[in-house]
Amino acid sequence: MSEVIVITSGKGGVGKTTSSANIATGLAMDGNKVVVVDADIGLRNLDVVMGLENRIVYDIVDIVEGVCRLKQGLIKDKRYDGLCLLPAAQTKDKTAVSPKQMQDLTEELKKIFDYVIIDCPAGIEQGFQNAIAGADKAIVVTTPEISAVRDADRIIGLLEAKGIYDPKLIINRIRNDMVKRGDMMNIDDMIDILAIDLLGIVPDDESIVISTNKGEPVVTDDKALAGQAYRNITKRIQGEEVPLLNLDVDENVFSKLKKIFFGK
Amino acid sequence: MDQNMISFKGNKDGIYIQIKEGDFNLIKNQLINKLETTKEFFQGAKVVDIKGGHLLEEEFNILVSLIEEFGIEVEIVEKELIEEDIEEILPFDGIDIGNTKFLRHTLRSGQRVEFDGNIVVLGDTNPGSVIVAKGNIIIMGALRGIAHAGSDGNKEAIVAAFQMKPNQLRIADIIARSPDNEILSPQWPEIAKIKDNTVMIEPYLQKK
Repeated sequence: MSEVIVITSGKGGVGKTTSSANIATGLAMDGNKVVVVDADIGLRNLDVVMGLENRIVYDIVDIVEGVCRLKQGLIKDKRYDGLCLLPAAQTKDKTAVSPKQMQDLTEELKKIFDYVIIDCPAGIEQGFQNAIAGADKAIVVTTPEISAVRDADRIIGLLEAKGIYDPKLIINRIRNDMVKRGDMMNIDDMIDILAIDLLGIVPDDESIVISTNKGEPVVTDDKALAGQAYRNITKRIQGEEVPLLNLDVDENVFSKLKKIFFGK
Repeated sequence: MDQNMISFKGNKDGIYIQIKEGDFNLIKNQLINKLETTKEFFQGAKVVDIKGGHLLEEEFNILVSLIEEFGIEVEIVEKELIEEDIEEILPFDGIDIGNTKFLRHTLRSGQRVEFDGNIVVLGDTNPGSVIVAKGNIIIMGALRGIAHAGSDGNKEAIVAAFQMKPNQLRIADIIARSPDNEILSPQWPEIAKIKDNTVMIEPYLQKK
């Protein structure tokens, strides 16, 4: 049974695209057939993060307009066979695609792939409406900032209004030392407000910046802490029980690992 | 046997089809063959008349319905009106001397420029930008986006840039992309053209 998962947040810059690339790559590493769809028409980034920018010939708008066939528009990942990217158009805007067209498109993709991951644009306008139109499930990404949590809360409400219940939460860019000092919102506070299941937490990690610039998702990096976090997340998406790191355990593991890697 | 009983000509009103005198069945078959191979090119075009061949009215009507089957609109215009400005439809032939568009700014991500002729950019083109020209493309700066020269099928078209670092280069129907690894790009201007059906990039100044 294949499923369509939209990755959304409301607020910009919290890590939707990074999470999409890593979750899709992680699922493909475990042998699934995965397509990751960039719904951010006009401001596409996913192709750059995945290092596939040079290969784009056709895009999502060409497919819905019938300029090319679906399979012509899919770009095969250079590392994993089961992984494909469907890039957004850069020279158009969000109105180039309608929610109905997205729905039809995701139906087609479901026939070919086990997982369809949709990278949603920031905002709640047509780009968001398009991205969630064909989705079965949603993952909401937030950072430990009040503004991001506020937007995430709004998004959860909008998802429910569209019939997508029970979204999962990823908390990105946690800095453990700051949480400890009480300078950053802690995970329990956020879950308290949002009242949805936690899918995973991703630490603030230099390796994300490095891997993004190189066009290689961090999930492929065995040594990176953030890579481990995304591998855990993909395991949970596939229904495996990986213990959710609660903050206490978290601290120990993080500080231990930090000591090993950074010698602090 | 005359292989070319049919030719497509065009003027400002649309396309008309010139037929030489001969057997009607032969004419019909050649028309089908020709439409078969060129139907994409003529998509959205309008046929304004079928000339020559001393066709009977019913033969004429058969040909008209044949053309319409290929999804090409037919709208017969009075014959007197279309005697002038007749030329064969060919790819853009102005790559040596022809219309040129000058852009005096940097082309940024998401910007797209199309022109039925040559394009010269006095500036850079950044990743995510697209330039499509029926003729040549000359970048007086860095080419970092996509450039498509000879877009209507002219394989003689070239792309030249002071710094050649494109996402993708397309000439006529041939597509090349830059390698995934960082490459050391030379400090001199380069030119891209088609050789043996692949895109070749080389310096265009003779080295001293």
